This record gives sequence, C-alpha cells and structure tokens, in this order.
Amino acid sequence: MVTLGIDIGSTTSKCALLKDGAEIIATSLYSGGIGTDSPGKALAEVFSSSGYTINEVACSTVTGYGRGSFKGADYQVSELSCHALGGRLIFPKLRTLIDVGGQDAKVILLSESGKMINFLMNDKCAAGTGRFLEVMANVLQLKVGDLEAVAAKSEKPAKISSTCTVFAESEVISQLAGSVPIPDIVAGICESVAARTAALAKRVGVVEQVCMSGGVALNGGVRKALEEALEVEIAFSPLSQLFGAIGAALFAYNKIQAQ
Amino acid sequence: MAVQELLNKFHDIAANPGKQMEAYLKAGKRVVLCAPVYTPEEIVHAMGAVPMGAWGADTELQLSKKYFPAFICSIMQSILELGIKGTYDGASAIIIPSLCDSLKCLGENWKYAVPDITFIPMVHPQNRAGEAGRAFTKAGYQRVIKTLEKLFATTYDDAALWGSIRIYNEHNAVMREVSALLAEHPEISACARSDIFKSAMFMLKEEHTALVKDLIEALKRSPAGETKVKVLISGIIADSHSLNSIFDDLGIQIVADDVAAQSRQYRTDAPEAETALDSLVLKFSGMGNCSLLFDVDKKRADLIVKTAQETGARGVIVILTKFCDPEEFDYVIIKSRCEEAGLPVTLVEVDRQMVNYEQARTIIETFKDMI
Repeated sequence: MVTLGIDIGSTTSKCALLKDGAEIIATSLYSGGIGTDSPGKALAEVFSSSGYTINEVACSTVTGYGRGSFKGADYQVSELSCHALGGRLIFPKLRTLIDVGGQDAKVILLSESGKMINFLMNDKCAAGTGRFLEVMANVLQLKVGDLEAVAAKSEKPAKISSTCTVFAESEVISQLAGSVPIPDIVAGICESVAARTAALAKRVGVVEQVCMSGGVALNGGVRKALEEALEVEIAFSPLSQLFGAIGAALFAYNKIQAQ
Repeated sequence: MAVQELLNKFHDIAANPGKQMEAYLKAGKRVVLCAPVYTPEEIVHAMGAVPMGAWGADTELQLSKKYFPAFICSIMQSILELGIKGTYDGASAIIIPSLCDSLKCLGENWKYAVPDITFIPMVHPQNRAGEAGRAFTKAGYQRVIKTLEKLFATTYDDAALWGSIRIYNEHNAVMREVSALLAEHPEISACARSDIFKSAMFMLKEEHTALVKDLIEALKRSPAGETKVKVLISGIIADSHSLNSIFDDLGIQIVADDVAAQSRQYRTDAPEAETALDSLVLKFSGMGNCSLLFDVDKKRADLIVKTAQETGARGVIVILTKFCDPEEFDYVIIKSRCEEAGLPVTLVEVDRQMVNYEQARTIIETFKDMI
C-alpha cells in the first residue's frame, strides 16, 4: 500500500511516498512554501521520480503551515504530530525531537512507546529559527548553506543576542565594524540559535535519544552548539527536513490500518 | 423558543454592543461602562443606570499608543482606543478598578484621553478578607456611590441595592447552571458558548437571566449531540470568534472555563448582611481563585484541576493574554499542579490585535492529538 505525505512549510514544500508504512519510496523538496507553486512542483516530482501515480495512492495527509490551503488530501494534521511520527520512523528510540524550521521552532517529547506527551512552540519571533540564520547570512553576504563550514573555522565565537533578530542584526554589524573575524561571528550566530532552542527544549524536558529536524538541522554548526548547550548527543539524518512529509505519509497509512 | 433561535439572539447581542447601548439610551436609560474586573455593577444597577461591560474589542491599536508603552495588555489598550474613537459616546461614566498595574494606567490615561466620559476609580484592596480590607472596600464603594449621586443628581438607596443584589445573585446562579448544562451538550459550539457569556456584559442582568432561563429550558428538551474532545479553558478573555472557531473546527468542546470574563464573574454571590452595601463588600472579600486577587496559596490552580476532573476535561488550555503579568505568574503554578494531577496543559498566547491565529491553531490541534 502506498501513502502520500505533503508538508507545506513557510519556506519549503516537501513530499514523501511511503510503502506499507515503512519503506520510503521517494521524497521531494522545493524551495518556496505556502502561497507559491512549490507544493505542486514537489508533488509532481515525487510521482515522476517514483514512477507511481496519484491513482495508486491509498491515502494522503497534508501538514505544515500551509496545510489549510491545500485541497485534495484525505487528512490534514498538525506538523508537530507528523514530525513526531516521521522522526520516530527514522529513529525508533527517539524521545525528544527538536524541529527548527523556516519561521518557528518546536520541541516534542515522546513517551517510550512513541506517544507525544508534551510539546512547545516558540514565541512569535524569528529569533532561533531558520529566518534568523537567513537574515544573518544576508548581512554577512554568505549563503545559509555555507554557515556551517565558515563556523567551523572559528577560534573564539562572538557573543550574539538570542532575544531578537533585529537587535542581533545590529550586533552583527557592530561586530563587523569591530573587525571580529567572520567565522567567529558565524559561530556566534549558530550559538545564538542553539541557546534559544536549548531554552525551549529545557522547558519541555530533554530525554535521550534526541534528534533535530527541519531545515536548520542541516546546519552542523547549530547542531554542535545545541549539543554543547544541552549536553546530549543529537542524532541527525539527511532526511531531517522531510520528517514532516514522511510522518504525514505514515499518518495516512495508520488511518487506513485503523479502518 | 428553540435552542438555535436563542443562540442567534445571544450572538446578535454579543456582536452588537453598540446597538444595545443605543437602545438603552433611546429608552431614556443612563449607561455606565464597567471595565474589568469585579466592578461593583450592582451599585450602578441600583442607581437606575445600565452597567455595560467595557472589555475592549479585537481591533487595531492606533490612538491609544500615544498613552501606553508597546508591551502592555491589549485588552486595556483597546478600551482606551474605543474611548478615544467615540465608540462609547453616550455613556455617562466608566468605572475602572485597579486590580492590576495595567488597569491603574488605564484609569490615569482615561482622564486625559476621554474627558467627556467621567472616570470613576474603584480601588479594591488585595488583602480583602480581614476587617481592614472590608472597610477599605466599603470606602471604595462609597466613593463610587458619591460620584454617581453627583453625576445623576440622585440619592443612593440601600433597599434598591438589595433589589439589585437579588437580581445579580439570580444571574450568577443561572450562569453557573447554564455552564454546567452546556458541558452536557457538545453540539453547542465554542463560539455560541462565548456569545452566551459575552452577551451578559451588554444587557441588564434581569433581561439576560430571562434569556438564559429560556435557553436552559430549551437545552433540557434538546437531545445531546455527539461527543467531542473535552477541554477546560483558562485565562482573562476568550471571546475571539477566530479563536473559538478553531475549537469548533477541530471538534473540541469547552466543558468548563476559568476565564475572568466568563465563569470567574459568577462564582461568588453577595451574602446576607446588615446592609446591602455590606453584603456587596462581603461578596468581594469572599472572592478568590483569580490571578488578579491575592492568594498566597494559589488555590486557583487546584480549582482548575478539580473542575477539569469533575467535568471530564481531558486537558487544560490556558489562553494567555499577551503581557498579562498576573496570568503569566499563575501559569507556572497551574502547569505544575495540572501535571502533578496527570492533566495535560498547554498555553496559547493571544491579544486584542491578533489577526492571524495559525500558530494558535497548530498548538490546539497538536494538543488535541496529544490528549
């Protein structure tokens, strides 16, 4: 049985096709989330790359910030529930999932059996999210994807505020004016995101195994800083950005099984 | 009258407070605005005026920003905004208690921003149960009476206050009854439940009591709808249609509340006493279980747990008004007591200027999945 998961985020659109609730057949990811044509493109790609057609899909679920605007899925589920399901499929012993996406951050606590027992979302603020990294990369004329490599060259990370993106941007400019090396500024930026995320995680309670999902999980600099802040190892999967879509496909599978 | 017909009435009144005020003014009645919270409405009622709730509205704040810093309660900012914009024109006065720091600022600013509507301060004591606290409350009520006497060129009559107290006590009783009955009727939406409570602010209580009694009778005749996921909500205000629609869209039923603008108003009756004014003083001194009323033991948290357990609520959703310090302080205790009792709890932050409720939707939806 093939099920489909669609995750329409604030900055990206992702799809996943799952076979029998266990095997990932195909995934797709496009830049551009809600309000763009990316959900349609991601959907087209997941079918073209897998060879399956929409008619072969037994059930589908849409999740993410743009879930309400997508018509045609059988179910609509919050991204936290889907990230939890997707994360647990990849890491069967997962207990704490830290999802840092384009515009928000969430921490989800799972029981030993995988049931969601607590969660927390960040305040309505860009600090500690992917948007924070984008703004800072822009100030430094870097690509978001380059931040990890640049941060790795740091010898003494600069202090950057984790409270507010606008204030932090001013601080970065001040650091540049003070001739602080760019790698130290970038490492400081990663630590800033990690500090904000760690505070959120500590409010929920951190139980190992811990993993990160969402686009920011791809940044090793943030992952490393978060590991240090939480004093735990953080598991990482190259599929971390797709946990929502995979979880949505798994949700659809579970629904069919429950019928 | 059928249930839906009555719900439509409640909605019409809750959605059109201006129409209500206009009708009372046209009928030759005076209107006195009653800002949050625990304003002695009975005094206004006894002196022949219509006490009308002034809890602000969901609106963009522009003019009030001249008087307030950015990070302050939007309920009270929106009251001033409506005052400056003339929404309350026609009202004779506004009584503003000072049970929180933000409300103190509202009263001070009102005098200058809306000079045409008389500001009547009501200073409650926080240590309200002892003799000194009761004397302080009584002095506060007497100041309100004196101002109203001057404003209306009338004389306070203790017998009239007894009459009003009876009306308010009866209203409290029907509100408690309807709240309990609504918990047995999942088909009544969260939006409709909110309308029932909100409409009480804009009507003479004897009129609202009659309407609620009709609803109680109609509900008793009506079969209960399909079961939904039951929750208890807590906070200062929860009247946003957008917020309540989320509960309805997701199949969640509010079986009880600890909301200042809803059930907290109706928990305490005025008891027998030597005079009606003393009875009103005893009512306030007997109040509790509220973030705005000093309580060293924070029994409010225990009441939330107890009410949730009694009503079968599977979780507690705290609807936190942004920048409300008293509620923020209490949340820590509520969360901890709920968790000790095995009751899931989550927090949704709202304010009067909010137009996008997507984050609230995600939190409530995930909470439903979790419980």
